[in-house]
Amino acid sequence: MTKRQFGYLLISPTIIMFGLFAVYPVVRTLYLSFFEYRLQFGETMTFVGLKHYVNMLTNERFWNAFGFTMAFTALTVGFEVLLGLAFAQAMNKDYPGRGLLRVVVLIPWAIPTIVSGFMWKFMVHDQYGVINQMLRSVGLIRDYVPWLSRDIGAKAILILADIWKTAPYVSLMVLAGLQGIPRSLLEAADIDGAGPIVRYFRITLPLLKPVLATAVLFRLIQSFKVYTVIVALTNGGPGNATESLTLYTLRTYFDAGNYGYGSALASFTMIVTCGIAVCFLDVIRDKVEAGRKGRAR
Amino acid sequence: MSRKTWDKALFYAFAAFFVATIGFPFFWQVLNSFKLEKDIFSLTWFPDAYTLANYRKAFQSRPLMEYMGNSIAVSVFATLASMALGSMAAYALARTRIRGTGLILIVVLSVSLLPPVVIVNPIYALIRGMGLLNTRTGLVIVNTLFTLTLTIWFLVPYMHSIPAELEEAAEIDGAGPWICYSRIIMPLVAPGVFTVGILAFIQVWNEYLFALVMNPVRVKLVTVGLKMYESDNYIPWGTIMAASTVIVVPLIAMVLALQKRIISGLTSGGLKE
Repeated sequence: MTKRQFGYLLISPTIIMFGLFAVYPVVRTLYLSFFEYRLQFGETMTFVGLKHYVNMLTNERFWNAFGFTMAFTALTVGFEVLLGLAFAQAMNKDYPGRGLLRVVVLIPWAIPTIVSGFMWKFMVHDQYGVINQMLRSVGLIRDYVPWLSRDIGAKAILILADIWKTAPYVSLMVLAGLQGIPRSLLEAADIDGAGPIVRYFRITLPLLKPVLATAVLFRLIQSFKVYTVIVALTNGGPGNATESLTLYTLRTYFDAGNYGYGSALASFTMIVTCGIAVCFLDVIRDKVEAGRKGRAR
Repeated sequence: MSRKTWDKALFYAFAAFFVATIGFPFFWQVLNSFKLEKDIFSLTWFPDAYTLANYRKAFQSRPLMEYMGNSIAVSVFATLASMALGSMAAYALARTRIRGTGLILIVVLSVSLLPPVVIVNPIYALIRGMGLLNTRTGLVIVNTLFTLTLTIWFLVPYMHSIPAELEEAAEIDGAGPWICYSRIIMPLVAPGVFTVGILAFIQVWNEYLFALVMNPVRVKLVTVGLKMYESDNYIPWGTIMAASTVIVVPLIAMVLALQKRIISGLTSGGLKE
């Protein structure tokens, strides 16, 4: 057996796996989105063209879910990047105790989203919630607030819970970027009289750009598929205020048994994801090239 | 005060804030898991008496032991499968000059970015068609798929970093491709395979969407099981906090024991959650 044949042999399980459980399902979802296909009608499928997409785009519940998902994505990723930059800056100092910081950072990352969702649900409870107690004791609120039964409150708590879970992880990625910046560069700028702020914006940030672009790409796409934290905290409520696209799609599939319309929603999610990816083509090209040629990263 | 002192003061102020905000929710969960219900309801921070009753209830009111067993089995097998398939694929992609590496890498990256909801329905139908709904095997297959992207991305650069001369020398001595792979490359990349295995394990343990959808009735993993404690009009907070602690302890132990590896893994190429 030649080495190349051996290579094909080793890669074949992966190709079968991806073909069967990723490529085929994607094609199948796109295909089903053009059909009327419901659980209660059995296996009958009727071609309906773009009907589901037209229905989707004229459906208020869809726009609500899409709008909430977009706002959630923008706010979580925005805050996570800002906090990640700040945390990383602190972790990059050489003072005793920074080891503790690096361990603490891993806790939210390692905790399952469903568990962290319940933690937050408990902390913001309208009667037994410690956050209400704290806010009242410092005089910020007079009565306990039922955060999760209010539209804005529920959204804000979900965003907060996501930031808590993910900002530390972003800070680790930024830290890796910071450590790749040669110290001599910053020292030289210091000697030339550049203050810490100038150095940060003129040297550090531009050099962090590739790391940040990668982090933002992955975080945008992860945030856009938000689901689990919602299941734990609000289940989409109050009303449908916090129903994300993923939650809406899953309900269409498995509660309503409407596979055709659900597939249109799923396809829409895929289109948005592709849109995000296209904005970061440089990152993707870099990563694929690195994989082919073996450049570091 | 000098600039240095200011810098140091700022660092510790920031670090304190940072540790407090990140650590508090976890601390609060563990603390309340040992409290009596009346102390939970009256928001007493440090009551006079503590109890293990919540833990007893966590195991008695729901089959938490069974959930744990299911989660351990699925996570272990999916992780092992992903380590095996991922190292094979990464070797093929990095070192054997097969055709289409660019295309395969693009597919792998796309799958790692793909929201699960896009493929959940066809996968559900496939798994049902294979008779694997409500089985651990079905969940192992799906989780292997999602962690395989991680292991491949992580291991391809690792494989590239090994000097080609090592393999060439063995080939001159008459070693076939299998010997090169199993005796030369694999021992060298074993630490990397182990590191990415930890990341994969944590990812599978924490997965919720497929764990829910593919097991409507029988095999429940810890993440899905946790949701079972709630009923419409009553949430047993103490029990949920105790069950949460049980679910999280293996992970926290792993993170503390292997933090160096995890950090290097997270920052060097593993980009998924």
